[in-house]
Amino acid sequence: MTLKKRIAFCFDLDGTLTREEILPQIAKKAGIYEEIDLLTKITLQGLITFDKSFKLRVKLLSTVGIDDVKETVSRIPIDVNLQQFVQENQENCFVVTGNLDVWVGDFVQEKYGCRMFSSVAQYEGDKLLGIQHIISKHEAIIELRKQFDYIVAIGDGMNDCSMFEIADKGIAFGGVHEPVTSLIKMSDYVCYDSVGLVGLLTSINQMEL
Amino acid sequence: MKIKNAVICAAGLGSRLGLDTPKCLVKLGNHPLIYYILKVLQDVPNIRIVVGFKEEEVIEYVRKIRKDVVFVRNPDYRTTTNAYSLYLGSHDLSEPFINIDGDNYLDEYNFRKFEENIVVGEELIGVTESFTEDAVYTKLDENGMIVEFSREKIDNYEWTGVAYFANVKISKLGKYVYQELEPRLPIRAAIIECYEIDTPQDLDFVSNKVGLL
Repeated sequence: MTLKKRIAFCFDLDGTLTREEILPQIAKKAGIYEEIDLLTKITLQGLITFDKSFKLRVKLLSTVGIDDVKETVSRIPIDVNLQQFVQENQENCFVVTGNLDVWVGDFVQEKYGCRMFSSVAQYEGDKLLGIQHIISKHEAIIELRKQFDYIVAIGDGMNDCSMFEIADKGIAFGGVHEPVTSLIKMSDYVCYDSVGLVGLLTSINQMEL
Repeated sequence: MKIKNAVICAAGLGSRLGLDTPKCLVKLGNHPLIYYILKVLQDVPNIRIVVGFKEEEVIEYVRKIRKDVVFVRNPDYRTTTNAYSLYLGSHDLSEPFINIDGDNYLDEYNFRKFEENIVVGEELIGVTESFTEDAVYTKLDENGMIVEFSREKIDNYEWTGVAYFANVKISKLGKYVYQELEPRLPIRAAIIECYEIDTPQDLDFVSNKVGLL
């Protein structure tokens, strides 16, 4: 008898699992919504690198206490169809986000209960000091290869490209906003609705490799 | 019988039709071909469309009609066949599915007729009275089973591009979809009216037909 091969699903967080981008919501709290929104838009379009943009955005947002940020994040609307799929498949679903562990870790744990790969913050108590490590999303895929035979990545932005490049299948998801063209060109599937996406994920999950 | 999955292959260039547009977007009456296909499939929960040539245009149009469609990309559409598109669209499906080509026209009545003929766990192939050039002919026995496919006119029926796959897995390297089914013959046929649009003549012929419906 052959062992059933293991399939992992790696989800981007902002604008894929969540119905809104998270950083602009934190920015509202800091009173710099427009500035952060602009930075987020040009980052999604790939006009500046995710690293550079993220450093800038974190710098601008570091005036907000970590607990305040977490409180804002906890109210971010999420896609319930995708939430259900992740919750039902916690063992082989993963959140892979460029966002900071201290900001979104509790949220991911509470809403999805699965493991998360994220950027790592430097902090002291409630104060964010800086960034210890900015994740390049392919790191997660490399790590998961040790355990899984087949990896499916789901995302919408430029920083998902590194994940798509080495995943077995890439799904560009336009449920919240249009996926960037470069990602679509690297993808195997394109979906614009979470009902369709969950149908696809369910089918892949049952596939015999 | 309720069909749960559909795979529509719409990646090809449609070079014989000679229009600079994917065949599924070619207008028949008031709407593009794909509109009619999606209409007959409106109760099917999972729809996949394999896209290639001018994929952005196909995606843009289809999204307006039905938002939960899953688009399967075949970037190699220039050098691969319909069978490869069908492989891409179905290789991760563990459930039976109906395959309709993006250049097929069939109406509600004929779709229902096909659906009613489906038997759980069995393949079913839609055949139509032959009219196209370059057809794949199907030979039916007295029980309505397809016993042979041929490029020669061995019977009055031809393969339509509509088929229900219950067990057959499409291989990655296959050339024609009917060849994937050949080892499984005999397979039951459903005689339906279904038109494939390959040439400007086909388009005129079907446009007139549809105008009469």
